Amino acid sequence: MGPYTYGSMPELDGILAGAGYHVRSSDLRHVADSLERLESAMVGGNDAAASIPDSVHYNPSDLTAWVDTILSDLTHTQPCPPLPLPVSSTWTDQVCPQLHQTAVIAAQQREEESGIRLVHLLMNCAEAVQHGDNPLAQALLDEIHHVLTRVNPSRGIGKVAAYFSNALRRRIHSSPHPHMSPSDHVLLYHHFYESSPYLKFAHFTSNQAILESFEGHDRVHVIDFNLMEGLQWPALIQALALRPNGPPFLRLTAVGPPSSTGRDELRDVGLRLAELARSVRVRFAFRGIAANRLDDVRPWMLHVAPGEAVAVNAVLQLHRLLGDQNAIDSVLGWVSGLRPKIVTMVEQEADHNKPGFLDRFAEALFYYSTVFDSLEAGGIHYQKLAEAYLEREICNVVCSEGSERIERHEPLVRWMDRLGRAGLRPVHLGSNAFKQASMLLTLFSAEGYCVEEVDGCLTLGWHGRPLFSASAWCGCDDDVAPVGYNNNSNSNNVTPDMIHDNTSTTSTSNT
Amino acid sequence: MGTSFAAEEEHDKPHGYNISDNVDILAEIMSRLDGRSLGVAACVCRVWYAVCNRDSVWEALCDRHVSGGDAGPGTRSVVRALGGYRRLYRLCVGPVLDRLTGSTGPDRWTGARADSVEVRGNVSLSLSLSLFSIDCYERLSGGSLRPASLLFLSKPVDVS
Repeated sequence: MGPYTYGSMPELDGILAGAGYHVRSSDLRHVADSLERLESAMVGGNDAAASIPDSVHYNPSDLTAWVDTILSDLTHTQPCPPLPLPVSSTWTDQVCPQLHQTAVIAAQQREEESGIRLVHLLMNCAEAVQHGDNPLAQALLDEIHHVLTRVNPSRGIGKVAAYFSNALRRRIHSSPHPHMSPSDHVLLYHHFYESSPYLKFAHFTSNQAILESFEGHDRVHVIDFNLMEGLQWPALIQALALRPNGPPFLRLTAVGPPSSTGRDELRDVGLRLAELARSVRVRFAFRGIAANRLDDVRPWMLHVAPGEAVAVNAVLQLHRLLGDQNAIDSVLGWVSGLRPKIVTMVEQEADHNKPGFLDRFAEALFYYSTVFDSLEAGGIHYQKLAEAYLEREICNVVCSEGSERIERHEPLVRWMDRLGRAGLRPVHLGSNAFKQASMLLTLFSAEGYCVEEVDGCLTLGWHGRPLFSASAWCGCDDDVAPVGYNNNSNSNNVTPDMIHDNTSTTSTSNT
Repeated sequence: MGTSFAAEEEHDKPHGYNISDNVDILAEIMSRLDGRSLGVAACVCRVWYAVCNRDSVWEALCDRHVSGGDAGPGTRSVVRALGGYRRLYRLCVGPVLDRLTGSTGPDRWTGARADSVEVRGNVSLSLSLSLFSIDCYERLSGGSLRPASLLFLSKPVDVS
């Protein structure tokens, strides 16, 4: 090790020079990146070590040149011809930010080329699956697996491609996704709720519309099509508590899957909500309806009383009924028949219900890439389980068919048509909802979310691509009191032919 | 220490007056502080700790930074029921203000900020309370729901 030559060559890094390596300070970042890539290339590739010729000796004291030479030796055997990009170039815009160093740009371009190649392979594989050519599809899947070893599988296009190739593999081998218990599903949902603004946007926007529609009513009834943990309702209870003329009597009827653990989970959630309502002095009553499918629910189970303002809340639920035309029509029919003051609907803004598999696959690839991109940019905890939540959706869109496929997302324009035909008329979400959504987004660290207003509906998107849409509908004229469905007064009605449905006990909390 | 020191101390101290004797005046002063200063003040002594933990002090702080909706007695009872103004500030208003004013670096803790103690920016009351109610609900759930829905407001801790 020689003495410091710091004074004689000012552009060399002094500390490394003291260790015997000559590196210009301006090259330090490039060298660091190259060393990282070198390490991953040597650790990851099986044939990498064999391709380095033994007989050539490199002088490591010129660190920059040494690293570049080794890297080019390792990667020169893996040609990646750039392919034309078949779909829109959203990822490439995000993969290639402004950079100053050409070496880093070259690395990005290599990743981008691998990304383009992955997309191309995935689309070819999906086309093979559509034509029923399983051997070709399997061969393409193997190729995809090989390319995936060369990209970073934990972020960006690598991650999305891994999920989609797994889904394709499941489809080819007809191995369905392992069954998940409702409590696990609730856990994943909770993580998705915490790690991204989408569900919060859905809840807050719906609550705002419900709150505005309940103005002037003393008895209000909210019907929730999917209770989960009831995270939407504390905010509404609190807002009703702060109403200028005092809170109304709030009834919540919530639908949820039948319990698999023996505990009445719906009732547990209802009790918690009741306790919250009691602490803020809102008169509250809860009824749970256990049903596997929404079309198993009948209006008489809801016990809508005459004179109360009804709100129906369907967050990411209605698309599950689209597998059966009768199902969606009957549900929308009785919803409309309740003459609700407001129906709040939040749906994914995507067309994942196309009959052709390839079209559906392409749509889903684009859509979920954008969602994953937004999750990554947030960089927040619980990201892994939030991705697991989305992975189940991806598997359902790609692998399942017929009645098994429940993630039949459709764009807002088709929903508007459908709800219009069912007798519901659109209600503009006001500027308050828009302002609240915008404020909510400013709280998230990732910048790239955008709220837009389209025909009185709000959409939340990432970098200009709308991902979720929230809309509100009305089923009654303003001055007409809703028609109630009167039935017998005992609360535990079970009809013999409804095997899966039963009404849980009502928990009532009064001030 | 000789008697001369004691004599000098007697001359310097204002005769017989100690701010901690009058907690109401102390509370009035505290209610004009910002969040960080309140936290620091609470570490001074037991009396100051008690005063700084009065919810009314944190209520005054929240009222200064929260807009939209009338902060009347109805609001106060709801906030108290959901956990109090101090918790509201700690979980919702404080982090949101930090996010809005962009002060996320270590300067925040050294207090070396160019724009002095007065933090500009307002937080929507309805949004704060909505988030606060979710937190209260999660705590009500005991073990089944970890209070985590507000974690997105704070800076992620780098544990690498």
